[in-house]
Amino acid sequence: MPPAGDGAAISVRELRMSYGSTAAVRGISFEVATGKVFGLLGPNGAGKTTTIEILEGYRQRTAGEVAVLGADPGRPTRRWRERIGMVLQECQLDPNLTVRETVTLFARFYPHPRPVDETIELAGLHDKRNARLGTLSGGERRRADVAIGIVGDPELLFLDEPTTGFDPSARREAWSTIEGLRALGKTILLTTHYMDEAQRLADRVAILRAGELVATGTVEEIARGIGAGVIVRFRLPAGVSVQTIASETQSRIETVGDMATIRAADAQPVLYRLTAWAQREGRTLERLEAVRPRLEDMFVDLTTGAASPPLAAVSDAQEAPRD
Amino acid sequence: MTELGLVAVQTRFQLTSITRNRRAVALSLVFPIVLLVMFNSIFVSASDSVELAGAKVTAHAYFTGAMLAYAIVLSGFSQLTIGLVNQRESGQLKRLRGTPVPAWTFIVATVLRAVVTVGLMAVVLLAIGRVAYNVSISVEALGEILLYVVLGTATMCSLGVAATAIAADVDSASAALPLVAVLLALISGIFVPVDQLPGWLQEIGRIFPVYHLTAGLQTALGTVGDTALDPGNVAVLCVWTLWGIVFAARRFRWEPTRAVGA
Repeated sequence: MPPAGDGAAISVRELRMSYGSTAAVRGISFEVATGKVFGLLGPNGAGKTTTIEILEGYRQRTAGEVAVLGADPGRPTRRWRERIGMVLQECQLDPNLTVRETVTLFARFYPHPRPVDETIELAGLHDKRNARLGTLSGGERRRADVAIGIVGDPELLFLDEPTTGFDPSARREAWSTIEGLRALGKTILLTTHYMDEAQRLADRVAILRAGELVATGTVEEIARGIGAGVIVRFRLPAGVSVQTIASETQSRIETVGDMATIRAADAQPVLYRLTAWAQREGRTLERLEAVRPRLEDMFVDLTTGAASPPLAAVSDAQEAPRD
Repeated sequence: MTELGLVAVQTRFQLTSITRNRRAVALSLVFPIVLLVMFNSIFVSASDSVELAGAKVTAHAYFTGAMLAYAIVLSGFSQLTIGLVNQRESGQLKRLRGTPVPAWTFIVATVLRAVVTVGLMAVVLLAIGRVAYNVSISVEALGEILLYVVLGTATMCSLGVAATAIAADVDSASAALPLVAVLLALISGIFVPVDQLPGWLQEIGRIFPVYHLTAGLQTALGTVGDTALDPGNVAVLCVWTLWGIVFAARRFRWEPTRAVGA
C-alpha cells in the first residue's frame, strides 16, 4: 500500500475496530490534508468517536493503516502528543480551579505554548478567566475544553462534537472560534452530527453510517452524488402532460396536485431545457423556482440508508460530477 | 519543561484544588483534629495509661499517635482514592493522558499532595498533643515518628492508588473508603486500645498495615527514652507498600469505568 501523501496530516486506510464481536468501524479510508478542516459526520453510534479516539492515540485499532502527523497513533510518544490538541466529547476539568489556573497548568505541559491570556481570549472566556470551572455553564465549560485543546499551539486539532448541547447562539460563537483556528492554519478533524455545522466549517466531510463511510468529499459533491443537488418546482401549465415535460427535460417528474418537482444534480441543464421548451411553446411556468434541498434532510437520507451510497461517485474529488 | 518542573506545577495546582474542596478538607484535615480533641478530652484523663507491646504509655500519647495514624490513613488512602476515582470517572485523567505530560509525573504529584497534607497534619496534631495534652516528644522519638509518617504515607498512597482499580465509581468510593478507614481504625488500636480487643480481632488487625503504623507511632510517642524500633512494624509496612505498587502498576486505569461507546 502506498504511503500517505506528503500533504496529508492524517491518513487512514482500511481502518477496522471491533469491541469483542461488535464491529464499530468496518474498514474506512480517508485523508485529511494539512491546513484543512475535515468533518466526520454521522449519527450517534456510527463510529465517529471510536475513529477519532484511535487517531488521538487512546485506542488500539483492530486492523488497518493509520498515520497521524506521520506517526502511528497506536504508539503515541511525548513528542507526537506535543503537536496535537484535542477537545474530547465527554471530559471534565478540575471544578475547583479557575479558567486561568487550568489553562496555565496545561500550557506548562507543552514546549511552545500559546500565551495563556490570548488563548482564553480566543476561546471567548476572557470575562470568566477568574471563575472556577465548577461555576461555569455547559457552553462555557466547552470553551474551556477548547482553550486547553489549543494552548499547546498544536498543528493538528481534534474536536469531538464540539457544539453538542449548545443553543444556537453558543453554536455560532463556537463556529467563529473554530474559524479563527482555521485562519491560523491548523489542521482540524471535527466530528459532528449537524450537517449545517459541517457545511459551515469543513472543507471536506466523510459521512459514517454503522461503521462504514457512505460518502466522502465536499458537501456539494456529496449533494450531487446523491442526486439531490437542486429541486426545480413549477406549476404544470394547463393541458400539458407530465410525460411531455419529462421527455423535454430528460428528468423524472414528481407531482403534488398541479405542482411539479424535478430533482437534479445540477440546476442549469434542467432549467435550460425547461425554459427553452416553455419559450418555444409560448407557455408560462408559474411559480418557477430552483431551491437547494435542506442539507439536514439529505444527511438524514444518507445516514438512514434512504439514499443509495454514492461512494464511488464522490470518493475522489477530482472526478467529474455526474449529470 | 523538565520532569521535575512538571511534578512541581501539578503538585501546586492539586494543592490549590484540594484546599477549595470542602469535603476533602473536612475528611482529611478537620476530622482527625476533632477526633484527637474528642478522644483526649472525653474518654481519657491525664493519669490513664495503656498497655502497649509490654510497656505502659500515657493515654494522651496513645491517642495522639492514634490520630496521627488515622490522619495518614484518611489523607493518603481514603481521600487520595476518592479524589483519583473522581478524576478518572469525570474524564480528567483521560484528558490528561491526551497531553504530552508523562503519566508518572501526575501520580507523583498526587502522592506529593498527600505528603504535604500529612506533613501539615503531623505538625498540627503533634503540636496539639504537646501543648494541650502534655505529650512529651523527645528528639529520639522525633526521628522515629518521622520514619513512620513517611513510611506510613508511602504505604497508604500506594494502597490508595491500587484501590482506585477496584472502585467502579465515585459514589461507591466515597461511601466505601471512609468506612474501610473506620473499620481498620477499630481493629488497629486507633479508637480502642488493642489490648481491649478480643484475641481473634487483634490477629485480624495485625494483618493490615494500619495496625503497625499505629503501633509504631504510639510506641515512639509514648515510651520515653526507649526508641527501639520494631522491625516487624517496618517490615509489614514495606510489604504492603510494594504490594500496592505492583497492583497499581498492573491495574490502574485512566479512563472512566463506563465504557465509551462507538
